[in-house]
Amino acid sequence: MLAALALARYRGRGKGVLETLLSLPLVLPPTAVGLVLLDALGRRSPLGGFLARRGLEVVFTWKAVVLAMAVMSFPLLVRSARTAFEEVDPRLVGLARTLGCGPVAAFRRVTLPLAWRGLLAGVVLAFSRALGEFGATVMIAGNIPGRTQTLALAIFHDNQLGHDDRALALAGVTALLAFAALWTAEWFTRRRARRLVA
Amino acid sequence: MIELELALPLASFELRVAARLEDGVTAVMGPSGSGKTSLLEAVAGLRRGARGRLALDGRVLLDSAAGVGLPPEARQIGYVPQDAGLFPHLTAHDNVRFGARADAAAVASAVATLEIGGLLERHPASLSGGEKQRVALARALATRPRLLLLDEPLAALDVGLRERILPYLLRVRDEWKTPVLYVTHNVGEALALSSRVLLLRAGRVEALGAPFDLLATPGMASASETGVENLFGGRVRTHDLEGGVTIVDVPARQSLTVPLAPARAPGSEVTVAVRAEDVIVARRAPEGLSARNLFEVRIAAIARAGADVTLRCSPATGRGFARPRGRPDRLPRGEEPFVPAPLRRSSERRC
Repeated sequence: MLAALALARYRGRGKGVLETLLSLPLVLPPTAVGLVLLDALGRRSPLGGFLARRGLEVVFTWKAVVLAMAVMSFPLLVRSARTAFEEVDPRLVGLARTLGCGPVAAFRRVTLPLAWRGLLAGVVLAFSRALGEFGATVMIAGNIPGRTQTLALAIFHDNQLGHDDRALALAGVTALLAFAALWTAEWFTRRRARRLVA
Repeated sequence: MIELELALPLASFELRVAARLEDGVTAVMGPSGSGKTSLLEAVAGLRRGARGRLALDGRVLLDSAAGVGLPPEARQIGYVPQDAGLFPHLTAHDNVRFGARADAAAVASAVATLEIGGLLERHPASLSGGEKQRVALARALATRPRLLLLDEPLAALDVGLRERILPYLLRVRDEWKTPVLYVTHNVGEALALSSRVLLLRAGRVEALGAPFDLLATPGMASASETGVENLFGGRVRTHDLEGGVTIVDVPARQSLTVPLAPARAPGSEVTVAVRAEDVIVARRAPEGLSARNLFEVRIAAIARAGADVTLRCSPATGRGFARPRGRPDRLPRGEEPFVPAPLRRSSERRC
């Protein structure tokens, strides 16, 4: 969210490059991103070695799953959050300031409530992306049942082993989760819209 | 007392305003794009590029030379933009009490002054333009500002609504005694509300003075949407409801007939404004003319600029200007002793 806010308000040089870099995981094949992460965090790399010496093992653990999902869904979150912030009229924020609000209070009382719908949409979008994430996860976290196996990986795994019925059940669970998330977001958004128009 | 010495780079020129303004209402006028709104934003602290000095009743809000620049929240200046700028996600009530210094007493008296008690539970989306302006004014007042900045609060409203909102502005001026910078294009509003006019052109102060003197100069024609060179102070004598006119007595036992203005009670003081373009000139006393108002004047000066011919006249009521359309060959060429100038159409404005 901080990144989105910075992108929405920052107008200086290098903005284009930064934006493109942040969006890169959207366009690259997930396996490529996973490979980069794997090489960067593997025990033989400087960063991975540094973390390992401090007892933080990332690769092929659940932390790697979280990392892969975060990296892959981050651009979606940032993009929609940024649009949401940009749609808030900066003059309203200025007005809040003249009414005695500091920058933080103005953000909390004006920017956030007005950008809220877009932020929620971004979260849902990012969640959906994370739910379906496969390529990067399988590269960096592997497919270890009970440890790093996500729903998406499990479906593939069961299918490969010929357990199509189990794969189908898992697909159903995934669908339910996705439906619940989307429906909740929709419900919030509608309630909000009614209040603004009423 | 507002001490202004501001410099602010804008897209096409630099805004440079130096002025000392007494309390009361100062009308900020000038052509579109002359920096009026930017001036208000700089005073409110919403323009980071503003340099110079700004003090309000001796309290320094900005002194870039000394490294002082209070953020907007510390300036205690209320700002009402042209479109009211209400927070769409809050009710009118929550808007009014939004301010950090808006205590219950201030909110209650702002609500009372602007008579918005019946609107409080509604969201801005369901308020009319005039209601939004009143809520926005109340929101600013509820913080007990030391200075109020109003950016064309009536511009977005139709004429009938303006007439209804103006009394609220007069109440704010008279009951709250808050100094006001009031951006407007409308000569009538400036006359009705302000004790002085600050005239901006391309970011500079072109003039600062009493509204009546300043607004009755030819240069103002381009500065206001209704260029009005001729102002006559007078008193309503009577309304002719059938004829649809109001008779206004002006000095030297003359009178003006203007479109019916029933809102002004007989005996009340008004200002009649007439554009120079709306005056026609005859070199002999005319007969059978449909014009209602005839003045006998003496031509004091003639200025030609392109196709425009401006006559400065000395009627019995004071100076006057005419920029007649039509046939320039029929206009007087030099000083002529006898020129009746009928006022073809006059527009009545409040005072």
